[in-house]
This record gives sequence, structure tokens and C-alpha cells, in this order.
Amino acid sequence: MEKQSYQYIENPLHVTRREFITIGGIVAAFLALPAVWIKMVTSSNNNYILARTKGLYRDDEKASIRVSHANKSVARYYKEFGGEPLGHLSHELLHTKYINRTKGLS
Amino acid sequence: MNVAAKTYQKGEIPGVIAIKASACKGCDACKRHCPTGAITGSFGATHSVDVDSCLSCGQCLINCPFGAPYETSDTVDEVIARLKDRNTTVVGIIAPAVRVAIGEDFGLPAGSLVTGKLYGSMKKAGFEILDNNFAADLTIMEEGTEFIVRARHAVFGEKSEHGAEIGPLPQFTSCCPAWVRLVETKYPTLIPNLSSAKSPQQMAGTVAKTYGTKVWGKSAEKIYTVGIMPCTAKKLEASRPEFNNAYEYNKKNGRALTDKPYPDIDTVLTTRDLSRLFKKLKINLAAEKDADGGSLLADYTGAGTIFGNTGGVMEAALRTAYAVLTGEELKPLEFKPVRGLKGVKSASVKLKDTKYNKEVTVNVAVIHNIAENIKPVIDEVLSGRSPYHFIEVMNCPGGCINGGGQPIYGNGSSWLGAIRPLFAWK
Repeated sequence: MEKQSYQYIENPLHVTRREFITIGGIVAAFLALPAVWIKMVTSSNNNYILARTKGLYRDDEKASIRVSHANKSVARYYKEFGGEPLGHLSHELLHTKYINRTKGLS
Repeated sequence: MNVAAKTYQKGEIPGVIAIKASACKGCDACKRHCPTGAITGSFGATHSVDVDSCLSCGQCLINCPFGAPYETSDTVDEVIARLKDRNTTVVGIIAPAVRVAIGEDFGLPAGSLVTGKLYGSMKKAGFEILDNNFAADLTIMEEGTEFIVRARHAVFGEKSEHGAEIGPLPQFTSCCPAWVRLVETKYPTLIPNLSSAKSPQQMAGTVAKTYGTKVWGKSAEKIYTVGIMPCTAKKLEASRPEFNNAYEYNKKNGRALTDKPYPDIDTVLTTRDLSRLFKKLKINLAAEKDADGGSLLADYTGAGTIFGNTGGVMEAALRTAYAVLTGEELKPLEFKPVRGLKGVKSASVKLKDTKYNKEVTVNVAVIHNIAENIKPVIDEVLSGRSPYHFIEVMNCPGGCINGGGQPIYGNGSSWLGAIRPLFAWK
């Protein structure tokens, strides 16, 4: 009788040695999941950035004119209205001044 | 409104980004993406945004797994009301990065270039189009010329034609409003180094309400300008009170119909906002037919469109500066050293200034992802040891294409919402 009660305390969950190793393996795999998942998420992050980057470079490559100084409409803007780059009207309309915000504005 | 805000002028939106306390889990994911450490609250506690150091860049918003940060300014319904008003000409100013991202909101793969469909959808909604790439080309003309003036002043001692003050080198780009705000709030001694050229958005607004009145045959009072941007900080930029140059100009020249001042940019929608607007108007961008821009203010070049990528402003500026200085086009036009996702990219260009018949070397640097990469470069400039003459800075990793106003992708707010229906407890 004594022997039987000893066996009962020894294995309360009825888990064999092999089953214990299996469960241990599954727990370890779950612990490793965040690492895999973080890597997956960060790599997909770069993927969409790269895809959008490529999209804009494709827009550049297929453009018939690829330098700003050859934009005919910009030239027309300066001719009909704006004068010249850094000219009087450009300073008035297309340039600005910046503000020191460290002093505390109201 | 936050009463403690000290770094905003009267009239400005005091911080575009706020955090919804009920959604914040205190996981600290956003802090990794914040360029200035403006997010306060310890791990596990509800976070909040310190508006005085916040740049309004929105990186926390697109990277939060719980969708807790939100924009305090939402004008989608107001724009729809203006579109329905027959007396108003609503001008949509489309930034380069919008055309490679908005498709994602309508089921197209990431990076799909949908300029034609976007124009078509905009026209269907009732917009006139001013492509911000046109303004980007204009920016290059101004900012590139400014760089040449600064460089010739530094190297050859050339004086300004109009006796105006010439800024020092290195010249920083000024297109990114988050970067401009970082200089204004943290490094004010670098203000003279910032290019005085306004950002393409602000140039576009001024052009729309001055030159644009001829193009569309409407008075400036009847033109309602909407910046359509990949960026939340552009909402703050548009609200800066000094950006009413078109009104000042029209008033001075007797073209203002009333005494009521109007801003150059009336309001700003992010890419996400525009998707929402299309969906409210039952426009499916993916199924829309291609259209063209419809006026000369929608004409743009390849140099204007790459503004949305990190290194793009520099590449576009170099193409033009090289041609102006040497009299020849840059060959090949693709300037590879400034492309890619490296934190700090640098390059040297040897060229001959034909005006002075001398060889000069121009050192350029390109920085993106301010949160991680800006410090060493700024320290060099502040100590006077910087080898660079021209530096492009964009706040967001990858440039505007990954701006805080873009469709949320991958590890941003969307992923949790996307997998939640799969769980029994939701």
C-alpha cells in the first residue's frame, strides 16, 4: 500500500518523459515566435518603403523631360509672371523667413 | 488647445498629433519612432504628446499597433462642402508621394504608380489640379539658384546682385516642415543655413492664388487650395500665419476684392484623408479611368517627382545646378550615391564653373529618419567642421513616401485591426 501512494505522488499529471520533452519543445517554439514575428514585420516595413521608392523612380524614368530647368510650364511661369529665380517677385512670393521658437512665443 | 504651448505662433495648429487615452496601451512602440522624444508617459501608463517638442511628423501615428495617435485637424467634410459649392474652384495640390501610395487604400499593391487614376478621381470629385511636382520644379529653380549664389559667394567672394544678404554654407533643404520645425525649436543658430525657398506646397498655394487666377480665370477669393500631402506636419505648415503671400501681393496690386485675408493653402488633406474623401463620394480610384492634369500647372518633370524619395531633392537640385554651372547636362542623370535607405548618404561632385573657369568640388549629404541619423551631422555643422556644402534632410525614414499621412501598412495601426476578426474574443 505504501508503495502505491508513493507512485501516485511521483506522477500527478500522468506526463511521460517523452510527453514532457514534446511540451517543452512547443513552449520553446512559442517563446521564439516574437523574434520571428518582429523580423517578419520589420522586413515587410522596408518592403513597402522600397516599393513606393521604386514607383517614384519609375515615374522619373518614363518622363520625357527629367530636369527642372527644362520644364516648359515653369519657364512660362517665369516669362509671363514670376520674372527670374531669386528675382524681386520670387523673393516676395516664393521665399520666406524662419522663426526662433526657443524663446517662447505667446 | 494646450495652454502651455510656447512654440507656436498665434493662428497655428498647436500640434497636429494627439494620443487617444482610451486606445493607448502604454507599449512604448511609438517612442522608438519619435524624432524628438516628445511622447511622455512611462511603460504601461497612458502616453501623451508634448506639443512644444512635437514636430507633427506623424511617425508615431503610422507605427502604433493600437491606432492610438490621431490627427487633431480633419477637414474632409469641409473640403466636400467646398467641392459641392459651384462658386468655388477647389484646387488639389498633389504631392509626389501620394501617387505611389493611395492605390494601397483601394486594394492595389504597394508602390503602384497611379497618377492618371488619381487625376481622374480628383476630377470626378470636382477638383482642379495643380501638381505639386510643378511646384517642386519651381522649388529647384529657386533653391538651386540660391545654392549657386551661396557657393559662389563662399568660394569666389561673389556679391549679391541686389545687395541682399547671402546665407552661409552648408545650405540645408527646407521642403520638410518637420525638419524646419526641428531647427526652429532646437537649433535656432542654424536658421541662416536653411534655404529661404518655401516648400513646394507653399509655393504652389501662392502660385495658385496669383498666377493661377489667370490660368483658371477665377479671382483669388474664389480659389480654395487643398494641399494633398503624405504628411501630417504639412497641416501645421499651412497654418503658419506668414503664409499669406498671395493675399499681400494681390492687395498691394489692387487685386484683392475684400479686406479679408486668405491663406496661401486653405487646408491640407493627408493621403489617408483623400482616400476617405473618395470613399465618401463613392469614387473607386482603382477602377477609375486615366486622365491628364488639364492645365500647365500640372506639367512636371522627372526631377520634380523624385522629391518624395529620400535623396530626391538633392538629385533634382544637382541635375539643375550641374547644368547651370557647367553648361552641360549631368550624365547619367541618375545620381545613384544619394539613393537608397542608408542613414547618412554623402557624395562629392567635381565640376567646372564656366563663369569663373575653375574646377570646384561640391560635397553633398542626404539624411532621412531624423530620429536616428541627424545628431552627428548637426554636431559637425555646429562645430564648423562639416565637410558638406549642401545637405538634404527629410524627417521620415525613406522620405515622404513613408510620411505620417500615408496609408498605414505593415507594422502600423492596421495590423492589429486586420488580425483581430480572426480571434474568437475580438
